[in-house]
Amino acid sequence: MSITDIFLKSSDRSLIENLLQEGGERRRAEEELFKSYSYFIAEAIRKYSISEDEAFDAYSDAVLIALEKIRNHSFEGRSSIKTWLFQIFHNKCVDLLRKKTTNKYSVHQTHSISDMLFQLSDETKLVIDELAGKTDFDLLKRKLEELGENCKQMLLYWAEGINDKQIAVQMSYKTADVVKTSRLRCLEKLRHLYKQT
Amino acid sequence: MESIEYIEDYFEKKLSIEQSSRFEQQLKEDAAFASEVAFYLSTKQMLKKEVDDDKKIRFREIYNNTKAGKIDQKPVINLWRYAAAAAVIAGIVWSVFTWVKPVSTEQLASSYIQDNLQTLAVTMSSREDSLQAALRLYNEAKYGESLNQFESIIQSDTSNFTAIEYAGISALQLKQYDKALHWFVLLENRTGLFSNPGKFYHALTLMKRNEAGDKDKSYQLLNEVVTNDLAGKEEAEKWLSKW
Repeated sequence: MSITDIFLKSSDRSLIENLLQEGGERRRAEEELFKSYSYFIAEAIRKYSISEDEAFDAYSDAVLIALEKIRNHSFEGRSSIKTWLFQIFHNKCVDLLRKKTTNKYSVHQTHSISDMLFQLSDETKLVIDELAGKTDFDLLKRKLEELGENCKQMLLYWAEGINDKQIAVQMSYKTADVVKTSRLRCLEKLRHLYKQT
Repeated sequence: MESIEYIEDYFEKKLSIEQSSRFEQQLKEDAAFASEVAFYLSTKQMLKKEVDDDKKIRFREIYNNTKAGKIDQKPVINLWRYAAAAAVIAGIVWSVFTWVKPVSTEQLASSYIQDNLQTLAVTMSSREDSLQAALRLYNEAKYGESLNQFESIIQSDTSNFTAIEYAGISALQLKQYDKALHWFVLLENRTGLFSNPGKFYHALTLMKRNEAGDKDKSYQLLNEVVTNDLAGKEEAEKWLSKW
């Protein structure tokens, strides 16, 4: 018997199963997770004296983190989804309060790539972080639109953590290898469009 | 394109230790390469943000709809002297409403699943075959595992209609409606079975899913179950009388 079996209710297990699916099932499961605990928002407004928009943003961010962790199997199921999600949400709210009280709150989210840099040595991390900081994200977004619907969709699936095999099924490509080649070509094309400007 | 693949392989930990060291060394020495790596990471971050923003828009819609529903339920007048009278009236209205209110098809389906599909019969046998093992998983509410097992049975024996039925039921429990429908339609189209509940389960899944058009389609299917005297007829008649 695994840890997941001990701590998780069957409804939590079903939800996780569905979040690991693709297409409509997954979309429905994401919405179910959001809806199930959206009352946290009202609780946070009362408890932390934050605005509704702030509470909504914190809750949405918490759900997005939870979705990603479930997708990449880093949720170990040592507590129920509700308890775990509440902990993430609580941390988000505390973080928000801290930022507000220390006057460091920024309306716009920064495009941090720090999560992906952990593999690099400290020396190279700084270099890459600095280079990435110079990226014009608005321009990059505009260039993404110029790529064409197919390329854009494929790259969005990839960024969401969907593997090439699953993308092949979703987009009716013959094999994962064909998807990989096309996806890398799309990235190359995007880079070319961006550098051209 | 090779360099993008090389960068991707590094971040997906597909490179050997030696290759990873070379990668890091190249980052330190080659400014153009470092710029490519930064571009790769920035692009992935931008795309991830696009995906997240799209989800946030969906979440906002859900939240606003839920909130709108709650606001609609709030009484408009909150003066105390009207409150008591309003409560009495609301009580009467609520009682009448509960008494005459038709039960939703989704509720009918949920009750049926709760009452009839929590456990499936495991036959007594001296040896436990894969079907029995899958049934045991189902009865322990391990629907994901039971579904996998039923599907692997179907893969090796496409004519095993018991496994098809139970794969559909497992998927239904998991709320994987598209998959449940796939198996039930396959069962429904099978001729020559003594008792075929495929059409009934097809209707049940649509009632439970309750998306646009599902109610009409399930109504039509239940009528076919009754007319053609198929498995599930008794329940179908009960439901149709409450439609």
